[in-house]
Amino acid sequence: MVFPTNENVIVGLDRADDAGVYKISDDLALIQTVDFFTPIVDDPYWFGQIAAANALSDVYAMGGIPKTAMNLVAFPVKQMELAVLRQIIQGGIDKLAEAGVVLIGGHSIEDKELKYGLSVTGFVHPARVLTKRNLQPGDRLVLTKPLGTGIVNTAIKAGMASADLTGKVTHLMAALNRDAAGIMSNFNVSACTDVTGFGLLGHLAEMVCGSGMSVRVFSKQVPVIAEALEFAAMGLIPAGAYKNREFRESMIDFAEMVERSRQDVLFDPQTSGGLLISVNGHQAGELVAALKDAGIGDAAQIGEILSGPAEKIWVV
Amino acid sequence: MKEIDARGLACPAPVLQTKATLQEENPQSVRIVVDNAASQQNVQRFLESQGFQTTLEQNGDDYLVIGTCVSEPKEQPRLSTEQQSDVKKIMVVCATDRMGFGDDELGLKLMINFLRTLKEMGNELWRLVFVNNGVKLTIDGSKVLDDLKDFENKGLKILVCGTCLTHFGLLEAKKVGETTNMLDIVTAMQLADKVISI
Repeated sequence: MVFPTNENVIVGLDRADDAGVYKISDDLALIQTVDFFTPIVDDPYWFGQIAAANALSDVYAMGGIPKTAMNLVAFPVKQMELAVLRQIIQGGIDKLAEAGVVLIGGHSIEDKELKYGLSVTGFVHPARVLTKRNLQPGDRLVLTKPLGTGIVNTAIKAGMASADLTGKVTHLMAALNRDAAGIMSNFNVSACTDVTGFGLLGHLAEMVCGSGMSVRVFSKQVPVIAEALEFAAMGLIPAGAYKNREFRESMIDFAEMVERSRQDVLFDPQTSGGLLISVNGHQAGELVAALKDAGIGDAAQIGEILSGPAEKIWVV
Repeated sequence: MKEIDARGLACPAPVLQTKATLQEENPQSVRIVVDNAASQQNVQRFLESQGFQTTLEQNGDDYLVIGTCVSEPKEQPRLSTEQQSDVKKIMVVCATDRMGFGDDELGLKLMINFLRTLKEMGNELWRLVFVNNGVKLTIDGSKVLDDLKDFENKGLKILVCGTCLTHFGLLEAKKVGETTNMLDIVTAMQLADKVISI
């Protein structure tokens, strides 16, 4: 399919990224993104918060600052009480307020299945746009949230996760990537994305494709929710994790000592995951220290960019 | 054999159904039918975590897992057979392409002879690691390349230091072994029963 474009499109559909970017003037570009999904937690207020954090994340991953948002709602009005919808929207509004973003509209339809999400608009200087596509050899990879939300959500559905763990993962998914993005802007960052449905290795594969470079991931240094490893060993793995593995398997080499459960967590689809940042190798330690100082305690260096061979991911 | 039909169910339902059956009936063997590969692997992993030995089959659109109870369920995921085996694990680290000091020509001859004789260690030879100048033994033109490839084909894990290859500009020239990093090397040292450094 051919997507019409013009000279002001900085990031368009031809190179699928976290959001679209359109140049308005030499010092201002518009970032637009939309994301919505079916409930991932039982509590409607928290579902609203997570959906908003997730939609905002795409703007942060592009190096931008979100400003306005619109609601997208599909609601089974005959089966569900409107109070549920009110709580979802309140969750969204509260999360937007935390991010300094205003809700200025939206649209709702009747549907058999509840869905909620937002379209978010933000701004960035055209020269400061961060995409997935600019890895530099010698860069280090930094991840800002632990992996395993997909597996833990599967365990929650199975009734096998504790209330404590459920609460912990809910807060994790609702946490904004705003502070991480703000800190990242002070460093020499060459590429960035946020970890969502394709899992860490799926999103990393997108970054590596077409770069001519390869990546080495230090699996033991990747932050993970400890319980996710146990649940994975019991087969509580979402089908998406298997699809992610199947899709990218040919690009990825696992060292023998990377146990199966850890591999599964690296493919686990995330909801509202952390930022995956490719930063100048000399600044990586400082970036992680700054993230930790700001309370992003899970931030860690998880890998390095190598000059070749092309399009290969080594997990050791 | 206890039969469980979990077709038409999405993850994690097949695992839950299997779990309930094990708890209620404590069967010695089970046969679970699911309709997709992801559920099949999940059920297999659940059974293995509960001390079952499993085999997988596919029959048209049906995916089968057959499990036989072999031990009490373990709290922790079971160790791989390699870690459980009694065979000693010897790790050999080559930090040079010459053996010993003195005459370089002699050193190279000795090194070639050493690597060729190394197979006498049999299956106790567990890891062969090349760092610093040692990585030059793994590249195009190395006199031991065929011997090393032979080792690798027989299942020996050969690790080659990525930092060293990059330093010498030999990343592309490497023809045998897996490019590795210090963390991998240190972890292997920790797991080995004996580390021999050349």
